[in-house]
Amino acid sequence: MGKSAELLPGTLDLLILKAVSLKPLHGYGVLLRIHQISGEALDIPQGSLYPALYRLETQGLIASEWGESENNRRAKFYTLTAPGKKRLREETEDWNRLAAAMATALRATPDEV
Amino acid sequence: MVSRWRAMLRALFHRRRFEDGLAEEVRFHLEQYTRDLIATGHSPEDAARRARIEFGSVDNVTLDCREARGLHVFDMAQQRLRYAARLLRKHPAFTATAVATVAITVGANLAIFAVVDAVLLRPLPFHEPDRLVAIYNTYPRAGVMDDGASVTNYYERRHAIAGLERVSLYRDGAAIVGETGATEREYLTRVTPEFFATLGVPFAIGRGFADADMDYGTTYRAGGVAVVTDAYWRDHLDADPHVLGRALRLDGERVEIVGVLPAGFRFLSSTRGIYLPLKSSPDERGPSARHAGSSSHMIARMRPGVTVAQVQAQLDAHNAIVERADPEAALIADTGFRSPVIPLRDVEVAAIRPTLVLLAGGVLVLLLIGAVNVTNLLLIRASSRGRELALRQAIGAHPRHVIAEVVTESLLLTCTGGLLGLGVGAAGIRLLRSLGASRLPLAADLGFDTRAALIALAASLVLGLAIAVPIAWCTLRSHAAGTLGADSRTTTANRAAQRLRHAFLVAEVALAFVLLVGSGLLALSLQRVSEVDPGFRPEQVLSGQIAMPWSSYPDDATRLTFMTRLLDGLAAQPGVVASGFSTNVPFSGNGIKAAVTVQGYVAPSGVAVHAVVPYGVRGDYFQAMGIPLIEGRLLSREDDRLDNRAIVVDQDFARFFFPRGTAIGHHLQMGTRPQPGDPVHTIVGIVGSVKQAGLASEEAPGAVYYLYDARFDNNVFVVSRTTGDTDALGTALQRLTRQIDPELPVNNLSSMSSRVDRSLVTRRSPAVLATMFAGIAVLLTAIGMYGVLGYAVALRRREVGLRMALGARPSQIRNEFVAMAARLLMSGAAVGLAGALLTGYAMRALLYRVAPINVPILLAATIVLGAVCLAACLLPSHRASRIPPTEALAES
Repeated sequence: MGKSAELLPGTLDLLILKAVSLKPLHGYGVLLRIHQISGEALDIPQGSLYPALYRLETQGLIASEWGESENNRRAKFYTLTAPGKKRLREETEDWNRLAAAMATALRATPDEV
Repeated sequence: MVSRWRAMLRALFHRRRFEDGLAEEVRFHLEQYTRDLIATGHSPEDAARRARIEFGSVDNVTLDCREARGLHVFDMAQQRLRYAARLLRKHPAFTATAVATVAITVGANLAIFAVVDAVLLRPLPFHEPDRLVAIYNTYPRAGVMDDGASVTNYYERRHAIAGLERVSLYRDGAAIVGETGATEREYLTRVTPEFFATLGVPFAIGRGFADADMDYGTTYRAGGVAVVTDAYWRDHLDADPHVLGRALRLDGERVEIVGVLPAGFRFLSSTRGIYLPLKSSPDERGPSARHAGSSSHMIARMRPGVTVAQVQAQLDAHNAIVERADPEAALIADTGFRSPVIPLRDVEVAAIRPTLVLLAGGVLVLLLIGAVNVTNLLLIRASSRGRELALRQAIGAHPRHVIAEVVTESLLLTCTGGLLGLGVGAAGIRLLRSLGASRLPLAADLGFDTRAALIALAASLVLGLAIAVPIAWCTLRSHAAGTLGADSRTTTANRAAQRLRHAFLVAEVALAFVLLVGSGLLALSLQRVSEVDPGFRPEQVLSGQIAMPWSSYPDDATRLTFMTRLLDGLAAQPGVVASGFSTNVPFSGNGIKAAVTVQGYVAPSGVAVHAVVPYGVRGDYFQAMGIPLIEGRLLSREDDRLDNRAIVVDQDFARFFFPRGTAIGHHLQMGTRPQPGDPVHTIVGIVGSVKQAGLASEEAPGAVYYLYDARFDNNVFVVSRTTGDTDALGTALQRLTRQIDPELPVNNLSSMSSRVDRSLVTRRSPAVLATMFAGIAVLLTAIGMYGVLGYAVALRRREVGLRMALGARPSQIRNEFVAMAARLLMSGAAVGLAGALLTGYAMRALLYRVAPINVPILLAATIVLGAVCLAACLLPSHRASRIPPTEALAES
């Protein structure tokens, strides 16, 4: 995968929730989807993906089910649960607030101080 | 939170599926990625390699996933457990000792706890049992401590005490139940209508009694209605659901069943199956019978929120009002009359409580000794592993890991011990039952339940954690001091560890000393009690109880005829020396006392009434019992014909009423206010005093032996002295009785020796148990001594070797270690002495003619403990003296 931006700490969970909210995905699919929806800018360290998925599942934010992959292989698919949806909404809002605040702060010019 | 636990538990229980799934998921990922890399132009080999590199270590990812699911905790625990188990297996002698110590001490505690729980702790099985109280009359200055409550008390107090919701009265009795030829004597209880409501017990079938049931009908007889317990209903009435209206035959009378009590109902320790109304006549309810002491007992339910003290105040006030009108008020007041109100359970368990508390204390001390012992053994082990642990910490083991390891090991030991302790406890409970524990009040179904087992296991866990604390402390401290570099023999940390070991050993010796002294005091008391002369010769005397029902024995003539025929029959039996009847026998558990008026006796002020123990005797009662004649003559059948009724008194009586001059020839009458025309009795003889209540009983109220027809009772004891076997005579007695009256069973058959013997059970069993505890404690202390000394020798191997090389004599070395052991022993005994004095003082209520500080016992305890412990230290000391100089030097 190509050159990509550094992932901010704590954002991996949010990205996974977002990815599986669009469509049930298997682990590798999550990886691809995040790459895709971030405009190919974000790359997840592959080793951290699965522990994150297991952690989210343990927390009840996502659920898993075995199914068939697009090339007819057995694969584990993750879906967003109701608490997961709620968490995604909250974290998205938090993130947007933070991003807006950061943007405002970084736009500041000497005149405004 | 819930979902998290669920996910974790699912993963834990379906571990294989979890692991397989994880592996498959990772494999799938790698395959997909490899395929995608090939698609973007990589060669298959290169693609597979890159995929693996970018994914990182599969093992690490798997580990992180497990951790995410919370499984790593279990993995770690399992690993530690396996490690600890391996360590323990490597030292089988140590492990067996430690596990056995925990098993025995926990088991002993479990067994004693079962008794304490049943008798003292478990709430009474009634609705809001804390509101139940007992109320009894006491006349301390007349020597009557508990006179129950009278029928008059009941009718007067019934609605008069504001703090009491319900008041009721009960009286234990017996009746002959069943049809002719198939009769059985059944114990029963007579109660007032609100008895069951007071306890808060509903009826399974039918109803209880009404006020109308409390009145006598036309005859002074049993009859009317009855309530039975669930057990009686099942055993005798085939659990008939239509039992209401069926009748029992009680003393020949028809009694209709009106109610069945629910399953599991039991009034305190009572196993009586039949309840009857407690009938009374208007006279019995009147003021003149207020202090009649009718062997009935009062229980009451307090209103919610009311305290015992409040009820007591109200009752005192009520007593003051009713007593004001009593012509005997001054007399009653002189006796110190009061009506104490006490929680219902206390009535039952007051006598046994100190013994149980003492035993519980003893067994806890034993547990403490066991814990200290295991701690010390583990400490020694930890010290000898000091270098290894220090090395591991130096190469990065976190203190947390060391602590976890120590805790795992001690938990593994104590929990294994605890599990085995359940078995020991079950065996212990069986032993306690055989020692008479199930005859204790409220302890009828003594056993161990899940609750006790869980408490024992929880205690084992706590024990494991407690033991781990000093060991972890020592281990970490030795690291902090840097054992690794320094010579492990001389560091301060090791000296601190040694001080701790020695302190624990001293504590162990002290505790064992306390147990030894305590059990010695109990055993000596038991010996002193059993040496007490009961005042009669109980060997080869048979006694049995016969209750002649009113219906067939309504008057003197019928009763006397029966008794004469039975005495004649007994006299014809081979081996029988003498036989007689009495309304009571010593050690029967019946403690009736009655006031008498002695002519010519003027009471010192403040002591108006002196209650004595009355007997009504017939036949050769004194000869049969072996009660010696001191002065005058015994009663004979000739006395019946005299107008002047003859009586015999005992020496206590004579001493109390006639401290100067003889009692013979003096007259007395029953009761405190004899009426004109009441019979006047003349003292014709004085016999030896008999211990009425028990060997250890110090009270000497005095006894009066009336002729049976002067103080008759339908309930009599027959006693018979034989040169042969009492059991065989018992069978003959039953046969003879049935021959005279097929309806009459003989109950409560027992030789007088076994009655005396049974009265000692509350002393013997605690003494036996305490001795067992002390024995185990001494053994554990010896093991502890052996361990500590052995380790001290191992630590100083090099030093000893060096000194040997420089010419020290083996005996010198040996004596040095023995001296060290003796020092520890003496410090322990000194501390133990203080503990023993406190213990002796605390248990003085249980001692009999033994001072709490008994020098011979203290000496004996010191000698026993000293001998055993010095024996235990001889082997290690001897080994020290045999250390060859070369080996010790070569070791470094």
